[in-house]
Amino acid sequence: MFEVRTRWGKVLLQVLATLFVLPFLFPLIVMVQGSFAGAGWGNYRAVLGVPGFFRFFLNSAIIAAGVIAIVYVVTMLASYGFAKLHIRAREVYFWMLLVCLTLPEVVLLTPLFSTTQQLGLYDTYWSVILPLAALQVPFAVLLTRNFIHGLPDEMFEAARVDGANSMRGFLYLVLPLTRPIAAAVLIFTLIGAWNDYLMPLVFLQSQDMQTITLVPQFFVGEFSNDQTKILASAVLTAIPEVVAYLCLQGLFERGLSAGAIK
Amino acid sequence: MTETTGVRGARMSHSGGTSGRPALRGGQGNASPARRQRLQAPGLPWILPALVLGVGLIYYCIGYTGYMSTLNWDGASPNPESVGLNNYVRIFTSDPVFWKAVWHTVVFFVVTFVAQTALGVIFAVMMHSRIKLGILYKVIVFVPVVLAPAIMAPVFRQMFSINGQFNWLLEHVGLGALVQPWIGQESTALPVIMAITIWQWTGLTFVLYFAAMSQIDQSMLEAARIDGAGNFRTLVSIIWPSLRGTTVALAILGAIGALKTFDVPWLVTIAGPNNATQFLGTYIYQMTIQLAHVGYGAALSIILLLVALTIAIILQVVGRERTREKKGAR
Repeated sequence: MFEVRTRWGKVLLQVLATLFVLPFLFPLIVMVQGSFAGAGWGNYRAVLGVPGFFRFFLNSAIIAAGVIAIVYVVTMLASYGFAKLHIRAREVYFWMLLVCLTLPEVVLLTPLFSTTQQLGLYDTYWSVILPLAALQVPFAVLLTRNFIHGLPDEMFEAARVDGANSMRGFLYLVLPLTRPIAAAVLIFTLIGAWNDYLMPLVFLQSQDMQTITLVPQFFVGEFSNDQTKILASAVLTAIPEVVAYLCLQGLFERGLSAGAIK
Repeated sequence: MTETTGVRGARMSHSGGTSGRPALRGGQGNASPARRQRLQAPGLPWILPALVLGVGLIYYCIGYTGYMSTLNWDGASPNPESVGLNNYVRIFTSDPVFWKAVWHTVVFFVVTFVAQTALGVIFAVMMHSRIKLGILYKVIVFVPVVLAPAIMAPVFRQMFSINGQFNWLLEHVGLGALVQPWIGQESTALPVIMAITIWQWTGLTFVLYFAAMSQIDQSMLEAARIDGAGNFRTLVSIIWPSLRGTTVALAILGAIGALKTFDVPWLVTIAGPNNATQFLGTYIYQMTIQLAHVGYGAALSIILLLVALTIAIILQVVGRERTREKKGAR
């Protein structure tokens, strides 16, 4: 964008960029450096030695996988229906779904709390998976519908004329052609489910059901507020996310951007 | 979920083929005479799972919350007392904490939105200007987007504490006079929460602006340069106006995000000290879960929901009009 021709201009721009980036690096340095304070690697050994530490990762993975599976299936079916099939009063249904976009999850707490207890779902994975999926679906549908809308109608008509019913159209046209947008949906659903704090906080009470976002809280109790070990646990829980991002940089950036922009 | 799909799939393939098509055509011929419509199968079964899950679960919860908002209920007693709209009256007339939370939300939105937009545009312009280590810088700015606020919260508690690294840094760059208990006093707690949010979301703003800038017509920039426009003039007159769509979308996202704010103020400052970082989300949580004023919390939830909806609609309409004006002018 900017044209900087002189050498001094280039140096100045580089220095400016570095100065702007440093504050973003600072908390990460604090996190890593703090986790080595005092006992050094001993902090990590202590954290990894806590029985059931990997259980947190497993629970987060189970919940994220459940949310992704539900969101993917439901979104693909609905987006195809909205974009290419005949539905009376289609826009009404669509707007009913869109209204859910603005919903803060804290609004769901009390009704879900009493309902899950009545249904015996309280303190199970479902009590977190279902509301999280319900909150992600409207957006995923909006995004995917627009994408499928962009696919030419003629293609679907041709398939129909050749004798393919709508199920075949779904399996052989929609699923393969929506892969790019499905990847975006997958990433922002993954981040949303993996990083969620409020739902597990309220709905998962037993120790062996809790997710990684509850780890810091757990260690505040476990190590009676020993900051270095809490930071070590923070680093350990952050590593999978950072590694996943570094491996799939482009996908993460596209997915989260798609998640932010309509 | 997959089970239902399988069953429906089986049924679909039975009715498919040549025998199924005339029936479909006959069934929809009256409703929609267009040829394209006749070729479309009914779609209601396809959107049903989404409606049941999304609309069903969420509208059920909203309805339930609406009902509870008319009660004086502790969440456990079998016979809650009905109080009509009293909870709402109390919120609007005699609840200073509610208004505090609203004010914090407004300040929070304005400051974080302006700061993220400014930083996002600056980073995007810089990264488009062939600087060295660009990829590394991008990764550093974007990584916070991926990290869970709940995991970063202890880091920030430590960093902004009185003996924390932030004060250490201030002392070492000669600003020792500014050393203070950042999250322990009312005047600085909210700015800290906003700084953390800016740290977390600027990466996303930056990536979006970066992508939007790649769409700008290069010949337009060259033409401006030939006409004698400098770097700053190009930024103000050409780059910034062509980013409007992204900015509107980010404003909607930021406003709704501000209303949803919970994790960071709850985990870093516990909405304090003295409600200095109280937001609507944290207030509802305190009321409902900690103090067991379930009815009151429900009334707060309904207000929050209505505000979120109104803002989304206003911004959507404004955004559309702006785009239309722009198209008309061309």
